[in-house]
Amino acid sequence: MTVRTIEVRERVMAKNDEIAAGVRGQLAVAGVPALNFVSSPGSGKTALLERTLDALGGEMRISVVTGDVQTQNDADRLAARTTRLVQAVVTGGACHLDARQVQHAIDALDLDDTDLLFIENVGNLVCPASWDLGENAKVVLFSVTEGEDKPLKYPGMFRNSTYAVLTKMDLLPHVPFDVERALAFARSVNPELRFFFTSALTGEGMESWFDFLRGQVRAGAAAAS
Amino acid sequence: MHELSLALEVCRIAESHLEPGTAGRLRKVGVEVGQDANIEVENFRFCLEALLDAPPFGGAVPSIIPCAGPDLRLAYLEVDDDG
Repeated sequence: MTVRTIEVRERVMAKNDEIAAGVRGQLAVAGVPALNFVSSPGSGKTALLERTLDALGGEMRISVVTGDVQTQNDADRLAARTTRLVQAVVTGGACHLDARQVQHAIDALDLDDTDLLFIENVGNLVCPASWDLGENAKVVLFSVTEGEDKPLKYPGMFRNSTYAVLTKMDLLPHVPFDVERALAFARSVNPELRFFFTSALTGEGMESWFDFLRGQVRAGAAAAS
Repeated sequence: MHELSLALEVCRIAESHLEPGTAGRLRKVGVEVGQDANIEVENFRFCLEALLDAPPFGGAVPSIIPCAGPDLRLAYLEVDDDG
């Protein structure tokens, strides 16, 4: 038997990253900042986006891509808050969105008629951390009904995110969640994380979030002009 | 599912480095798995074994090489040129 060794040294994510770079370039040319929302299931991604569409939908042109393992329920909820196209990606079992799916989704969008793109990833705190979708930043959500040690249990997601949103803050008086402890854990994983504290139910903390999004849109437009 | 989709991508890359029709001669697939790659190694190995046991492959063995960092990399292929 003659065994020949072929040196490959190829990153398995190379194809995904190549497509993601294309998506990022396309969005940059159009001046559209894209945020990739990641969290465990039930942390409030869709509720945050519903409230955001309600408040900012008349002020800026927001497009949305949602990812779910099954059903278009999240896309339907968001479509009820906007007259614009909401692209639903049903992964059929896959635990994350990949760049090819986002590329197909944005192909159906008019980026010249878009100021801001939200990508609501599949609820999962592990796999989506590894997949670049061409976004400007990942936004990780975790709710006060979850443990403070989520950042320690899922460091990849918190390390790869730029922003963190603590959600369901209205429930804080009713749950044994120590905000300072959660922030310390998150900062121990990623000292650069910027935090928001929101309740999509009461509107608490949402103005700060909206101002941040306005800044993202201004920066995106300025970079493209 | 995460590990299976990555294993499928390993197989796609492996095939792209082989001459057409020779995937059945593949004997070993060396894969570097970074400790921060968010991969459950035993599950990933199982997925690779299952895929490499089915056509067009002919029972190649995965060799997992633990390494530092976030990357997952197809490192090398071993091919039996005598078939």
